[in-house]
Amino acid sequence: MKKLLALVLAAMMLLGMMSFASAEDVELTLWSIAVESDASYQTYIDGIAAFEAANPGVKVNHETTQNEQYKTKIKAAMSAGTDLPDVFFTWGMSFLGDFVNADRVLCLDEYYDAYKDDLAKNMCANATYDGKLYGVPYTMSCVVLFANMDLLKEAGWDHIPETIEDMSKCCEDLKAKGIVPFGVSGKELWCLSEYLEPLMIKSIGTQKLIDVYEGRESWDNEGIKAAVTAFQDYVKNEYFDPNAAALGNDEVKTNFIAGKYAFYQNGSWNCGDISKSENAASFKAGLFPVLNPDNASLYELIGGPNNTLAVTATTEHKEEAVKLAFELAKFMSDADYKSGANLPCWTADPEAKVSDLVAQVVDIAGKAEGMVLFGDNFLSADAANTYLDYIGLAFAGEIDAEGFCTGLAAELSK
Amino acid sequence: MRRPFSYKLNIFLFLLPALILFLGVLIAPIAMSGYYSLTEWNGLGTPEFIGFQNYVELFTSKSINIMRALKNVMLLALLSVCIQLPFALLLALKLSQHVKGERWYLAIYFMPVLISSVVIGQLWIKIYNPEYGVLNTLLRSLGLDSWTRIWLGDKNVAMGACLVPILWQYVGYHMLLMYAGIKGMPPELNEAAMLDGCTPGQVSRYITIPYIRPILRVSVIFAVTGSLKSFDMIYVLTNGGPNHATEVPSTLMINLLFLRNRYGMGSTIAVMLIVLCFVFALLINFAFKEEK
Repeated sequence: MKKLLALVLAAMMLLGMMSFASAEDVELTLWSIAVESDASYQTYIDGIAAFEAANPGVKVNHETTQNEQYKTKIKAAMSAGTDLPDVFFTWGMSFLGDFVNADRVLCLDEYYDAYKDDLAKNMCANATYDGKLYGVPYTMSCVVLFANMDLLKEAGWDHIPETIEDMSKCCEDLKAKGIVPFGVSGKELWCLSEYLEPLMIKSIGTQKLIDVYEGRESWDNEGIKAAVTAFQDYVKNEYFDPNAAALGNDEVKTNFIAGKYAFYQNGSWNCGDISKSENAASFKAGLFPVLNPDNASLYELIGGPNNTLAVTATTEHKEEAVKLAFELAKFMSDADYKSGANLPCWTADPEAKVSDLVAQVVDIAGKAEGMVLFGDNFLSADAANTYLDYIGLAFAGEIDAEGFCTGLAAELSK
Repeated sequence: MRRPFSYKLNIFLFLLPALILFLGVLIAPIAMSGYYSLTEWNGLGTPEFIGFQNYVELFTSKSINIMRALKNVMLLALLSVCIQLPFALLLALKLSQHVKGERWYLAIYFMPVLISSVVIGQLWIKIYNPEYGVLNTLLRSLGLDSWTRIWLGDKNVAMGACLVPILWQYVGYHMLLMYAGIKGMPPELNEAAMLDGCTPGQVSRYITIPYIRPILRVSVIFAVTGSLKSFDMIYVLTNGGPNHATEVPSTLMINLLFLRNRYGMGSTIAVMLIVLCFVFALLINFAFKEEK
């Protein structure tokens, strides 16, 4: 009897272990930048929970690292080629491109068909290399001119200026009322590019700007010079916060929300923070006017799908990892859109309730006649930093438009 | 006959773990940096051997501008030796004269060393804030509006603004080193000098300072090599900006390594820093020997 009991107990233990093994037989590691302060933090948690619920037996270990440190961490891991996650967050174009070139990323072409109805091919352009898909974008963003309409009204304007001449006149009116027209961080150079790049695209047009970034067109051209001249004129005319050089982007955004600046030109990802403010009704999203109507139109935008999930080529659980990348991206596209954190890359829920500001940005993005990704994402890491350095020099008045164009043409042609 | 050999073998075996640790943790990374400094490598794939091209580019490239970074750290080293160390010595001499609340003063002066550089950096960012910062507010209240500046955003004053907290932070560290040296002196030396009619100032000048010369040498080496390697405070305060005005070799190295993916060039700066620290340490040792 004792032997029989022991046998039954042993069998039960074995069965228990087997069922435990099957319940936890796949563990996936996901690396992202969604630390607690990140706008997408909760969305990641909810998305992972939904994925685990829909895929019993798959557990996702989510490891988060702050933005700048993450760049170092993922590059070091990719460089070593060991201890890589199964799925990882990445930016598109050159950032992911370096990993693709090093054969560290799984090609997703054979899996895309299952999701093609919800994820348009053109949304995947920034994660496509030599015609092959290597990443799943989940949100897109574009540069928007946020305006404080209460301050504009104080200066006698009931709308965002629609021509470049009106913009200058509006800035003068704002200055006369003691209001700083533009808020920008001069400390974080990418913030300066959020002002210069819309001027560049509205001076030379979408295709020509892409040609400049890709080296088919020289930086030393009249259209870029006109954009840099306009940018520097705004600096000389003191349209920017005179303390810009000492301010970080978060401080500038806080100042804008607090009513210190009339305009704040930055990414659409700010919609969430601005919409949640007490005076959200004062804000409106618009676009910077066209600099040269012969070459460009109002709805040629800077931005595009950029936040992306990719699968490492070395993952031991290819099917599950790919499924996680696509399913999580789809979930996050929808959830981030509803929370105002970003615009969707995947087909959006038409019934979704979003803030007025997000609705305005969606309207702008829907009318887009051309889009070019942020220059510092488009260019390779080395070139992007040289480019940002030149923008900083132009903002500080250390070089003029001529120096900007000839200098960049010489530096980036090496 | 076997005895000496087994004795040496024992020594070797006992030293082996430390040797492995020394080679693995210190020598191997330096050797690897030396190798990578001779390559063009983006951190992924295979490094391409390019000889000394990185070294040539480092000292000739206008966009890297290493000379500006070296000028900044040399200025920091000079100010450390000429301002920070004399001030630390004065404090150490004063505190070692049994002043009331000696322990309290020691703790207070040493406190900045214990606080993280990031915290101190954030504190000074607030002090320097052009709008609500203590410095500009004070200047305005004194009617010195024309003296107010965007301290960390104006390229003409940003480096000076960075130097102040760096020098301030480590005064306590050097003071403690010197204070320990002074306290380690036999009291008879000072007493004999006093009996011979020396004033406290003369005792300090002719007895105390020469006695703690080895400590002063260590302090100078730490101050100079620490200045050459300075990174954290600059990174927090300005990250090398505005427009690279406060760049030091370490921030430049981080920029090249992790922002520009130029691992070969970043390693070149690392090697240059190692060589510079080594050379300066030797020079300082030599200078102190000469005085002896």
